[in-house]
Amino acid sequence: MTESWISTFPGYTQALSLTKKFFANIIKTGPVPQHIGFVMDGNRRFARRNKIELKEGHNAGYESMAHTLELCYECGVKSATVFAFSIENFKRSPIEVEWLMELAKSRLLQIVEHGELCEKYGIRLNIVGNIKLLPKDVQEILIEAERITKGNKRAILNVCIPYTSRDDMTHAIKSVVKQVKSDKLSTEDITADTITENLYTAGVPPLELLIRTSGTHRFSDFMLWEASDSGVMVEMIDTLWPDFTPFQLYLILLKFSFNYDRRRLCKKKITL
Amino acid sequence: MSDIGSLKKRHDTSKRISDFKLHEHLSNNNKHSNSLVTKPSEVKKSPQPPLYNFDSIPITTSKLIQTAYETRGPNLDQQEGEDIDNDNDNGKNGNKSTLLPFFFIIIKLRFLSLAYNPSKTPLLINEDVNKLPKIPKRVSTILNYKPEEEENGGIDGLLNDGSEVVTWCLSSGINCLSIYEYNGILKKHIPELRRSIYKKLATYFGPDNIPNFSVKIPHLNLIYYGVEDYDIDENNQKKIDIEISLLSVIDGRQTIVDLTKIMADMAKNDEIKVEDIKIGFVDDELRELVGEEPDLLILFQPYIDLQGYPPWHIRLTEIYWEDDNDQVAYSVFYRALMKYSTCKVNVGK
Repeated sequence: MTESWISTFPGYTQALSLTKKFFANIIKTGPVPQHIGFVMDGNRRFARRNKIELKEGHNAGYESMAHTLELCYECGVKSATVFAFSIENFKRSPIEVEWLMELAKSRLLQIVEHGELCEKYGIRLNIVGNIKLLPKDVQEILIEAERITKGNKRAILNVCIPYTSRDDMTHAIKSVVKQVKSDKLSTEDITADTITENLYTAGVPPLELLIRTSGTHRFSDFMLWEASDSGVMVEMIDTLWPDFTPFQLYLILLKFSFNYDRRRLCKKKITL
Repeated sequence: MSDIGSLKKRHDTSKRISDFKLHEHLSNNNKHSNSLVTKPSEVKKSPQPPLYNFDSIPITTSKLIQTAYETRGPNLDQQEGEDIDNDNDNGKNGNKSTLLPFFFIIIKLRFLSLAYNPSKTPLLINEDVNKLPKIPKRVSTILNYKPEEEENGGIDGLLNDGSEVVTWCLSSGINCLSIYEYNGILKKHIPELRRSIYKKLATYFGPDNIPNFSVKIPHLNLIYYGVEDYDIDENNQKKIDIEISLLSVIDGRQTIVDLTKIMADMAKNDEIKVEDIKIGFVDDELRELVGEEPDLLILFQPYIDLQGYPPWHIRLTEIYWEDDNDQVAYSVFYRALMKYSTCKVNVGK
């Protein structure tokens, strides 16, 4: 998305990555969110505004995601969750759903390739959601992508496809009930943590920051269980997702560490 | 009820203020505008008429709030359709705001909420709300307990805030309100709350004309009607003008955990099958236990922190908060309704 003529200068990429590292190091001096959630909203509006095809809008959204995630992991974020596809999105036109599936297939394979994002930052890919609802070929590729990155330990990328939080919660309740039924768990031991451990995102650090783009002030069925907890910072900004720049994320991260103590105090005061 | 003389007076002052503000607004619009705000000149070009025409109506105080609202950045969805052509260059204006306009906005908003106070007149509120194309059916709000030594703090402050919100809702025709307070302090002060609401309603609607209200605690499955415990029969239930339900952290995750426990026990005794646990089933149960999902959630705090609000119930809820507000004020409430009236929900599509 950068100006094309600047990028033709020699040493441009090196300078860019140095700048990124420099800013990331500043962030690292303070508290960094362990888990960030992204609702990548606004791809289609972006396409309409810029008079490009819908497909291109989704592509631009992917580009933006890659840049954003790079900065996240550079700053030491342990886990990021992106809302790629909602179960409700199946209601869209069949052709668009098909594009989205194609995009998911090609991009996920691209992420896990040698030398790409996952290898660079040691990211384990984690597919979150009810994948039984997807076409067979997509399922296979998702599982394959998960398998390739299995050994990576440093960070986690949760890709929600196809996901809704209510489905997730219901799934968790179901599996808890199943465990009780098979006598692996007693009813008295069920707590909120038991449910958290049975969500699709089990074993991931708790959500600390949720970012939603495109000026819609709703959660739209994304990580409701996690986001409603006290002390989670939720940022809802007006930029469309493809226009979302690492710099904006940088400002949000600064805000996060700036307000960290206040949130912690709030949490403490409340739990008294 | 205030008499006509004072009403007129208020209108006059508000006209002066609103003219002044409007002028200021036009000259400052570009400076404060968010990234996707259309410039005034572009608005003129757009062929579509505005959703609701404020100019044709005799000037009321809502114009004032409208001004403040626009300065803060209007809704995106409303413009989405109209200005595809001319907003290409607006994307980069967003980051230019400096601290000066920020403080300016704070002072301005404080001033506006002082200047515009419905002063216990449901008619004025009703007049404001009638201009909105749609209003939410169910509203929810998160109130915060402030320490005793703060202004409007302590239990009295909380009761006052709660009953204010109740009267605003009632005046704007919303008859379902849930109030969330983390510690459940309101639940422990039911008699005081009922008295406080009663008093507030009396000052707004006049002592002869007090609407009926019911206060509900979903967690304990208790309902109180009005200020005194009169008999609960079907006739009374039909006449309820506003239903208030009190939520606290216990209605959040804990309720889902309790539901899971019950289901686990039932599954163990083979009363239900595990396969029968579906979204619809859980939804029905939680609606029974906590209440319906609100359409609009108003936070009277400068950041979004849901403080353990029932997670199941915020799926499509519109969330409203203001970056620089920590007061329970009518102007905030009205702007929340305004924002809601321009939102469009498309589930997944």
